[in-house]
Parts: sequence; structure tokens; C-alpha cells
Amino acid sequence: MATSVIGQRAPRTEGAGKVTGQAHYALDVPVAGMVWGKALRSPHPYALIKRVDASKARTMPGVLAVITAKDIRNVLHGRRVYDLPILAENVVRFIGEKIAVVAAEDPAIAEAALDLIEVDYEILDPVLDPLHAMDDDAPVLHPDQRSYTGLPKIPEGQRNAQSYGHWEKGDIEAGFAEADRVFEETYSSAMTHQAHIEPQGGAVWIDDDGIIHVYGHPKNPLGQRKQLAEALDVPEDKVIYEFVRIGGDYGNKGGLMDVPLCYYLSRACGRPVRMTHTFKEEFMAGSPRHPSVIHMRTGVKRDGTITAHQVRSIFDGGAYGAHKPVPNVDVGGARKAGGVYRIPNCKIESYVVYTNHVPGGFMRAPGDSQTIFALESHVDDIARDLGIDPLEFRRKNMIQEGEADATGDVWRDLYWRQCLDAAVAGSNWGKPKPPNVGRGIAITHRHIGEGEAESLIRVDPSGQITVVTGTPDAGMGAHVMEQQIAAAVLTVPLEQVTILPVGSDIMPFDPGLGAGRTTHVSGGAVNAAAEKTRDELRAVVAENRGWPEDDIVLKEGAFHLSGSTEQPVTLGQAAVEAAYGRSGPVEFLARFDGRKVFTELCMAQVAEVEVDPETGQLSILHVSAACDSGTIINPPAAEGQVEGAFVQGVGLAMSEEMILEDGRVTNPSFGDYKIPTAADIPPFTLTWIEDAPGPLPFGGRALAEHGHIPTSPAIANAIRDAVGIRLKSIPFRPEAIYDALQAKNEREPEGR
Amino acid sequence: MIPFDLRFPTTVQEALELLDQYGEEARPMAGGTALVLLMQQRLVTPQVVVSLSRVDGLSSISANGSLRIGALVNHRVVEESPEVKAGWPLLAETYHRVATVRIRNVATVGGGLAHADPNQDPPATLIALNATVTAASSGGKREMPIEDLFKGYYETCLTPDELITELTVPRPVRPLKTAYIKFLPRTADDYATVAVAVALDVADGRCVDARIALNAAGSTPIRARDAENVLRGQPLSDEVFRAAAATVPAIVDPVSDHRGSANYKSRMAEVFVRRALEKATA
Ligand SMILES: Cc1cc2nc3c(=O)[nH]c(=O)nc-3n(C[C@H](O)[C@H](O)[C@H](O)COP(=O)(O)OP(=O)(O)OC[C@H]3O[C@@H](n4cnc5c(N)ncnc54)[C@H](O)[C@@H]3O)c2cc1C
Repeated sequence: MATSVIGQRAPRTEGAGKVTGQAHYALDVPVAGMVWGKALRSPHPYALIKRVDASKARTMPGVLAVITAKDIRNVLHGRRVYDLPILAENVVRFIGEKIAVVAAEDPAIAEAALDLIEVDYEILDPVLDPLHAMDDDAPVLHPDQRSYTGLPKIPEGQRNAQSYGHWEKGDIEAGFAEADRVFEETYSSAMTHQAHIEPQGGAVWIDDDGIIHVYGHPKNPLGQRKQLAEALDVPEDKVIYEFVRIGGDYGNKGGLMDVPLCYYLSRACGRPVRMTHTFKEEFMAGSPRHPSVIHMRTGVKRDGTITAHQVRSIFDGGAYGAHKPVPNVDVGGARKAGGVYRIPNCKIESYVVYTNHVPGGFMRAPGDSQTIFALESHVDDIARDLGIDPLEFRRKNMIQEGEADATGDVWRDLYWRQCLDAAVAGSNWGKPKPPNVGRGIAITHRHIGEGEAESLIRVDPSGQITVVTGTPDAGMGAHVMEQQIAAAVLTVPLEQVTILPVGSDIMPFDPGLGAGRTTHVSGGAVNAAAEKTRDELRAVVAENRGWPEDDIVLKEGAFHLSGSTEQPVTLGQAAVEAAYGRSGPVEFLARFDGRKVFTELCMAQVAEVEVDPETGQLSILHVSAACDSGTIINPPAAEGQVEGAFVQGVGLAMSEEMILEDGRVTNPSFGDYKIPTAADIPPFTLTWIEDAPGPLPFGGRALAEHGHIPTSPAIANAIRDAVGIRLKSIPFRPEAIYDALQAKNEREPEGR
Repeated sequence: MIPFDLRFPTTVQEALELLDQYGEEARPMAGGTALVLLMQQRLVTPQVVVSLSRVDGLSSISANGSLRIGALVNHRVVEESPEVKAGWPLLAETYHRVATVRIRNVATVGGGLAHADPNQDPPATLIALNATVTAASSGGKREMPIEDLFKGYYETCLTPDELITELTVPRPVRPLKTAYIKFLPRTADDYATVAVAVALDVADGRCVDARIALNAAGSTPIRARDAENVLRGQPLSDEVFRAAAATVPAIVDPVSDHRGSANYKSRMAEVFVRRALEKATA
């Protein structure tokens, strides 16, 4: 099989449209007569709504519709747990919760009308500290929780828990009894935003057949269609999630957000309606990454053998669990609190807690960046305090092929050791270093996203191949990946493969973006459909000519009878034959089942930093990373995933932080919420371990979810190496470094 | 944003007449980079916005003797101007440090000064370079030292009917030893945590005159007169620099915010005054 297009730096199928501004996103779809919707939001973190009077807004000139909770079927909805009302009715639980919406042709009129809506509140004491939320005297924010659809298992009496996770192995007490030393520490991380350039929004047009066309962020079009149909109580086939481009997702956009409101406004005023978050709204009422407080207690032998490891993680889930897409309504990474290590006795407990903060959602490897920051910082301190080289400590304790991890899972196809060694090899680890410069290692493991998908391939008499795809592309290059796979299997040049993205009405089944599954599952389906196309057309060619099937090879887009001079049969000709001589296309639908994968990935990083002891300023000098990529289908897309994630890791470590005061996000703009700029990114050496076959088409492994996870702990460990202080919370504020250095100098006035 | 009336005068005179006519209800708009944000947040709600974008005669730079910069010259032009780079390199460098190139391409010198956010970059440098601003109203013109312009957070001494028309920077008798340090511990496009500008007139290894000012260290840009006094007449030395910097925490009055506590910023003000002196004389 010719696979020359695999590994090619093929350009994006949608690239030209994006760079010329012609690509359509949710808000710039040209639907005639579209009007704007705007939302009235709660200014209080927690309050009862005593009265809503929208009568003045309803009669304001230019206003087309006003909707309050009383005007609609105001159900609870959500991605798994249904705890979020479409509009707040009797109570508001965070600053930014929607109470009413207005439609007008001019967004300024809609906004002005919001000022005319009167709301009387009875202000309640908010719950803002997730640790306090769990106390017996904290107000219960969701008294009706037990009646919620999709409620995960939560122990009775566990106050304000959105979810609870619990994993145990061995005998934790015996493990601690065996230990020579016990280390204990608490780590924390800030609330951060996905910072996609396109804020969340959507548009709805109801056509004359009553079909609801949604122009949203179709990252999981069939899943979103189901959510919306249920929330609106309409049959699923009355809803179409149309294909439009997505301006960045990073795990965030799979919910409904304002789409149900666009629908109700549209129904009320008879016009298509669009709504979009301003960035201020995006920060106050989006669905950010959960802040965390993670306590770790670990018993070790003097030689560094781990005997026991106990973890209690608390995540601030905010006012609603609705944005979390997994059945247990948790942040998956919490269970990885044992990392890559051999841990015989382990206990991990994880809570996501209701508070009166903006509800949390998913962001790239949810829970992993928080948990691995804690673990890799903790492990590094243990090694250094025991006088063991942190690299040796990791090598010694890292599980090998066939061993169980801290929660008892057994993984296969491990290239973890190679990743660690390659990351170290790409760094200055072990070399002499100037004063105030330090180096730190961190490592993580990560699963490959699972699922099943279907793909439809059409072959025209001309030989043009069309992949009819429902795979969303949030900017990561999913479509060019599908083009390359189809072209490789069918041995044609890329130009001979057209990618045709379609909406939820006619798309083949696709599970949507998430968990780093797209190349594995959706790409796997394209691979299966291309193979089916090849095999069925070959069978037709064989039958029509009496050629033995096994002697027919497909190369350069034509079937050849090997060892003969017979005229090859092009894919186009074969398609015509398969269609009984018709000149129409033939189609092949195939399914890929990727529901069980045991291959576990790795990402190791070594950071080198310099600390300015007089100011606390931290400079990242270099980062070396290595991961077990397996075969890379599209190098720029692969680099984009890992380098892009790394940049997010730098943001987590250095500057990204939604600052919360009295329930309010006080820095709701990119002027004050700082994501790294190009100038802030240090030299980055990335080593692919390509000789690491995996379950993705052509032997690849997933790459999307773990490039950022080791970055902040590697930097924290480098800071300790540089100046002997341990930072326990991300981001690392320069003042925190300064204060820690002052404190250290007071403790040890003579220097180290 | 609250709806408003947008006017486009084409001469300074017309603009001043509009401001005179509408008084408190009007606001001039130059690049709009600051004003539009304030309007979106409803922190200012003018009924009439007087756009200066079509006003003639405020968009040039001249450097015959003193440097004169029209109020509508944008940051990028100052930063790239060969005259500015040659005669006032610190000024070119300081304007280069403002925000991002996208902002600098539209933000104007006059709008930047009138905005009067104490975290901005140009004021400290302009104080160090002994600049003056000219303001005009339909009643006439006045010129004042740049220090006198700033009264508090987002507050200047301009009356609602006044416009800044020009910025003047004297040409030094001999080249000054200068430095601007913007302490940016988070990201490269941020406002300073603190920033320091120094301009020293040095002859025979002695400091003949010194002008030092800080941004992001109080409700206005702050001139460090005590530090200047310590330096004046002294030979350049590390001890003198340290002694000068040591006077700084007492005169700054920064706010605690997400860039750091007041105490931290005061400490940093001292560190960066010393470093700026070292850098200027290196
Ligand atoms: C994202 C971002 C980042 C920034 N970062 C920095 C930074 O790092 N450093 C820094 O120094 N600054 C920074 N700024 C501020 C920037 O310098 C100012 O926004 C800009 O200089 C204002 O100029 P303008 O022409 O756009 O003024 P406008 O927005 O038009 O006006 C600003 C104010 O001045 C008034 N005004 C305008 N022109 C005149 C005039 N001729 N006479 C009297 N009053 C007038 C207006 O009424 C308004 O009150 C940043 C701004 C943004 C948006």
C-alpha cells in the first residue's frame, strides 16, 4: 500500500477559507432577517428572585421579543446531570446567570431594553469556598439535587457535592506503617479559561416546515441535537445542527449555552435570532477549567520505594454541573493522582463541589493538569528531600509493561521510559548551571480517546473520492487528516479526495470531539470506509474480468492485475461498473469500533528556568518534551497540538488566572486575563518517539490532550532546583516567588 | 454601549466649538482604544462623541530644535520616527513598549496622555525628558509641564472643553544617559507592574542633573525628586545609586491588584530605580 501522503505536510482543506475570512462560523452564517438576542444576567452570586417585571422592555420601540422563565418550558438540562435551568426562575446561583433575554434588530436596543427589566432579589450569603461548601453548616445550594436526572453516585449526606470519585488499592494504613518517612502537602490551582478566540454563541432559524436549524459550535452535532431536542421537547429529527466552523474549543463547546434561548426568541418574534457572549460574558458565564485544592500524603522507604499514597482532591465546580460531559460528572484526571508510579497501597478521593461561582466545564485533559501539577511537585520534593536524583526516583518507581498502576489499571504498549529519557536527552539535565538557574522534570500518562464512528465514502465516475463527514474540526486539522487517510488507502493524490462536511441531518454517526479521540475513532472510520471502498470495488473488477481477487493490487488509483499487462482499471471505472453501468456515484459506509484501548500514552518534559532573586521574576529558558507519537499523519497538525498545548501549559504556570472576589470574576477581559504571547514562549525542543506503534490509523497514537500537563510541575521543580523554594499553587505569581525567597532568606540567613 | 451621537469636525476650531457647546455631555475620541472600552463598560456615557479622526493639523512631528508631536500622531509613528530615534531614543523605545502593535497603530499621543491611567508607559519617560503639553479651548491655549497634567486615576487637569493639541520635548544640550525599564513578570503585552524612566545629564563622571519618574506606582505618574536630589552633583557609583533608590519606597503609593500587593510594588520600585540608573550609565 502506498502511504506517501501519510506524514506529508498537507495543507488544511479549510485553510484558504479561514485565512481569507470566507469561512463561516456560528455568527456569520448569512441567514436573511437575523436579529440579535441579549441576556439579562444576575449581579449577585446567590439570591432569591422575588419578582421579574419585563413589561417596560416589552413595549420599548424596536424590541421584538422578551423571554423570562415564565414564558417557556423552563426545564433543567445539562450534558449529563440536568441541574441547569434555561433561565433562572426563583433563584440565581452565580454572577452572570441568565434571567431574561431580549431580541431586537439592533443589539444596542436589545441591551438598552435589558435595563428596563426590573428584578427584585433577596440576597443570600453565597458559598464561595469549596472547602467550606462541604461543611455541615454550609447552605445547601441544590436542595432538590436528589431528583435531578443524570445524578451521579454521591454518598448520602455529602453536602454540596456535584460528584464523588473514590479509588482504592491495597491496604493504605499498612502501607503507611511500612514507610520510613511520610510526606504531606497541599497544592492548588486557579480557575482558567479555554481562551478560544471565538466566544460561545449560536444562531437559530426555524424554517417553514418547523425544522430548527442551529448554527452553533457543532463539536458533537448528534449529541448536541439530542440535548437540544430534549430541552425543547421536540423530536430529534426536527433539529439540525448545521455544519459551521468552530473557532477553537479546547473541550468547552459541547453544551447548549444560549441556543435554547435563540430558539425561544426566534419562535416569539418569527425571525432568526443569534446570540453571542461578549468576552466579559465568556469569563463571567462560560464554562472554565475547575480550580483545585489537592492534598497528598505519601509514605516512602529511605531508598525511594513508595509504600502508600493518599490523595484528597477538591474541585470547585461552581453553581451547576451541567457543562460536564461525562456520566460521573467529574473531572477525569482526578483518578490519575498516582501518575506513572508503582504504588502498592493507594487511596484517592475526589470531590467536585457546588459553589456560587461560574459553573466549571471541560478543558483539555480536565483534571489532569491540576492533579499532575500536585503529584509531580510532590514526588519531586520527596526525591530531593530523600537525597535521590529526581530523574532516578522516577526511573525507579515508574511502572513497566504489564504492571498495575495506583488504581489497579494495567496498561500496554508503554514507551514511558523512552519518553522520559528522550526529554532528558533534549535538555541540559545534569550539566553545570549558573546561579539561580534550575531544571525540573515532570511526566504524565494519558489514555487514548475511545468510541465508535461511521464514515461514508462516495466514488464518482470521474474517480473523485468524496468523504462525507460528520467529524467536527475545531481547528486541529481533522479534515485534512481524513483526506490523507482516504488518499493513502485509495492510493490517490490528495486533490482526488474531497472532504464534504455535513450537518446532523445526514451525517454518518460521529461521537464528536473530545478525549483526544478524533484521529483514532473518526479517522479510524474513514480508514475503514476507504478499505471497504477498495475491497468492494476490487471484487467488482475481479468478477467482471475473471481476475483472481488476491492478484489485484490498487496503486496510483487503479486496480492492476499483478504480473500482467492487462489494462489497469481506475477507481472511477470500477465505480461505474459497481453502479451497473450508471454514470452516478457509488457509496460505501463503514463503521469503526474503537471502544477498548489499553495503550497508554506518555508526555515527559524538562524545564530550565532562571529566577531573579531580587524580584521573583521567573524566566523559562528552555523546555524539552518527548512523547510517544507513533506514526504522524500530518506533521504541522501534530506539532500544532503539542506545541499549542505547551503554550497553554506556560499560561497555566505563568499567568492565567480568573481572579474571584465575592463571587465575581474581577479580570474578565484579555487585557487582564493574560495568556502568553509569542514573545513569552521559550525555545521548545520536541522529540517524537515515532517507533511506537499504536491503535490509530497507520500506527499512530493520540497527541491532543497532554502537551500542557507536565509543563507547570516541570517549571515548579526547576524553581526549586534554582533557588530552593517550593511553589504550591499555579500560576506562579512573581510576588509569591519573591515572598518565598524572603522567607527562605530569613530562615537561612547564611545562604543555603 | 449606550447610543450616542457621533460627530466628525475637520478643524481644531470646529472640534473645540462642539466641545464647548456640549460641555460635560461630549467626549473627544482620537484612536478610541481607551474610550470605547470605557463606554462599553458604561464607565463613561457621553451623548456626543467628537471624533478627531478627520481633524487636520495635529498629525505631524517636527524636530527643529525641540521635538513637537501633534496630538493625533499615533504611537507607532513616534516609535518609528527617524527624528525621534536620533534625538530622543528613550521616547521611541518607550512608545515601542506600549501594548501591542495593533494598539500602537491606532492609539494617539494625545489620547494616551488624556486617558491618564497611571499604568501607562509614556508619562514617566516624558517627565524624565522634561516634556510639556499644549491644551487648547475656544478660549485660547495653555502650555504646562507634563507632570501638571495628571491629577489622579483617569483624571487630568483638562476641562471638558479642552483638547491636547501638542506635546513638546526639549532637545538636551548634550545626549542624556537614559533608561526605561518596564517590569513585566507575566506576559509581554501586559501593563507594567512598575516602570521607571531615568534621564541623567552627566559630565566628567558626575551627575549634573537627574530626572527620574515612575509609572504604576501611584494614582499618577510619580516623579522621584528625593532620588534626583541624592544624585545631583555626585559622582556615579553603586553606592549613590543605592542611596537614591532607597528614597523611592517612601514616595510611591501603589495599589494592590493582581499584578502584586502595594508592598511588593514599592519594593520593586526601589529595585528598578536602581537598575534603571545602572542601565542608563552602563
Ligand atoms: C489592550 C490594551 C493594552 C494596553 N496596554 C498599554 C500599555 O502596555 N502601555 C500603555 O502605556 N498603554 C496601554 N494601553 C492604553 C493605550 O495607550 C491607550 O488606550 C491609548 O494611548 C489611548 O489613545 P487613543 O488615541 O486610542 O485615545 P482614545 O481612546 O480616543 O481617548 C482616550 C481618552 O482621551 C480623551 N482624548 C482623546 N484625544 C484627546 C485629545 N487630543 N485631547 C484631550 N482628550 C483627548 C478621550 O476623550 C478619552 O477620555 C493599552 C490599551 C489597550 C486597549
